[in-house]
Amino acid sequence: MSEERRITSEDLALFAMQLLSEKETAEVAAYLRESAEARKELAEIQGDLATYALTADMQAPPPQTRDRLMRQVAREKKAIPIDRPVVPEARAAEPGAAVGTGSMVADTTARGDEALNEGQRSVLGLGSGDYLSENDQPKRGVAGRVLSWVGWAVAAGLAVATGDLYHVRETLRGTLAAQASQIDHLTADEAAARQVLDTMTDTSAMRVTLTTKGQTAPLPTGRATYVASKGTLIFLASNLAPLQPAKTYELWLIPAGEGQNPIPAGTFRPDQHGNASVIMPPLPKGIEAKAFGVTVEDEGGSLTPTQPIILAGE
Amino acid sequence: MYRETGLVNSTPPSAQDDAALLALVQRGDEYAMASLFDRYSKVVYSVALRVLRDPSSAEDVLQEVFMQIWRNPDGFVATRGSLGGWLAVVARNRSIDALRRKRPTEQVDDMALASNYNLADEAERNSLMEKARGVIHLLPFEQRKTLEMAFFDGLTHSEIAEMTGDPLGTVKTRIRSALSSLRKAFTV
Repeated sequence: MSEERRITSEDLALFAMQLLSEKETAEVAAYLRESAEARKELAEIQGDLATYALTADMQAPPPQTRDRLMRQVAREKKAIPIDRPVVPEARAAEPGAAVGTGSMVADTTARGDEALNEGQRSVLGLGSGDYLSENDQPKRGVAGRVLSWVGWAVAAGLAVATGDLYHVRETLRGTLAAQASQIDHLTADEAAARQVLDTMTDTSAMRVTLTTKGQTAPLPTGRATYVASKGTLIFLASNLAPLQPAKTYELWLIPAGEGQNPIPAGTFRPDQHGNASVIMPPLPKGIEAKAFGVTVEDEGGSLTPTQPIILAGE
Repeated sequence: MYRETGLVNSTPPSAQDDAALLALVQRGDEYAMASLFDRYSKVVYSVALRVLRDPSSAEDVLQEVFMQIWRNPDGFVATRGSLGGWLAVVARNRSIDALRRKRPTEQVDDMALASNYNLADEAERNSLMEKARGVIHLLPFEQRKTLEMAFFDGLTHSEIAEMTGDPLGTVKTRIRSALSSLRKAFTV
């Protein structure tokens, strides 16, 4: 391939990256038109570049970019073509071939087509009356004139109403699109959250407490993660002692304020390995916590903690 | 063992493929357009930001690229390969055009793109990104730097040769070799 000596795959890579001069670009483009092999190689290079592009650090665009795009999209709504029967012009001009508007053209043609210029002819049509001679004009009474205006008024009203309906429909459509997309987002978020939750609460999950090498058996521990402003709490415990039947562990939130009673934050029983968790118990929002504690209570839980406190942490 | 979490048990809707979304966009479906944006805006924006290093300009490129899809969804046809890959390349090209303050070059965007990866799938996309970064990281420094200067900085081979003091031929070979290594890593 004699051309290969001139246009190499190195040139194609530069072409793909728009790094050639205008003249070189034109040469490569001409070569590509002729060579299927070169086009295939260029496609491979574009694929390589697409892969390379993905090495950029991924950052989500600001949320307002989506709104900006969708506003622009709404502004540039696409016109959906409507199928309409087309009356060929040639047929309309055929003498005697037409009915309705066609016959009017035929009539005027018979009276002398030359007398009408193109502009006049273009405005002829049903309802205009221009195609009738003075003597042929129908005589209308007051009622007839009023009724004809009523017809136009109704038509105008319908047009306005139709326009309004169209506007409402498009607005609803836009809202629906935005909401549907938001649902997609939320669903994805929910799926991710569920995965985290499933992992934390899966009874078959492997749970390991890491301690300093050589240390004796790990002691019962609990870790509470709490966001006061949202009232969200996650509590994970390990190495808990098994319970007597009809007994349960109960987690307590000790409020930071003076004189406030401990708030029950969920009951739980450990599995056979001593692991347990309390995930998102119903708690009021905005309660600052001073400490958390765990007690043993009768099954069903208690409204006040029973001594002794098994686990406590501030 | 634990109390009610409040999470609803639901299954995410199956994702429509790119071709189906493009067909809907062709018919003026704004929801489909929003779905494409949600799917690929991160890739487009990140590439533009990497080239332009300016969030505001990157947002402009993001808008421009997606409006191009809205105005002319036929501009991308399935035979051109992966829509995600095509968008990544178009984002880079538009950003380089913005850097050079020149009109977009349609000729290059119009080319086919060979890619077997489904970038619509986020897991596959993330895996591809990680692998590509790994391959690039292992390239000789000169190759990596030269490709970066050409692709992300939009410097011509002459400009790179001038800046690095390397011969033109060497610059071209380094770019080609870097891309070849990338391709080889993904075809093994």
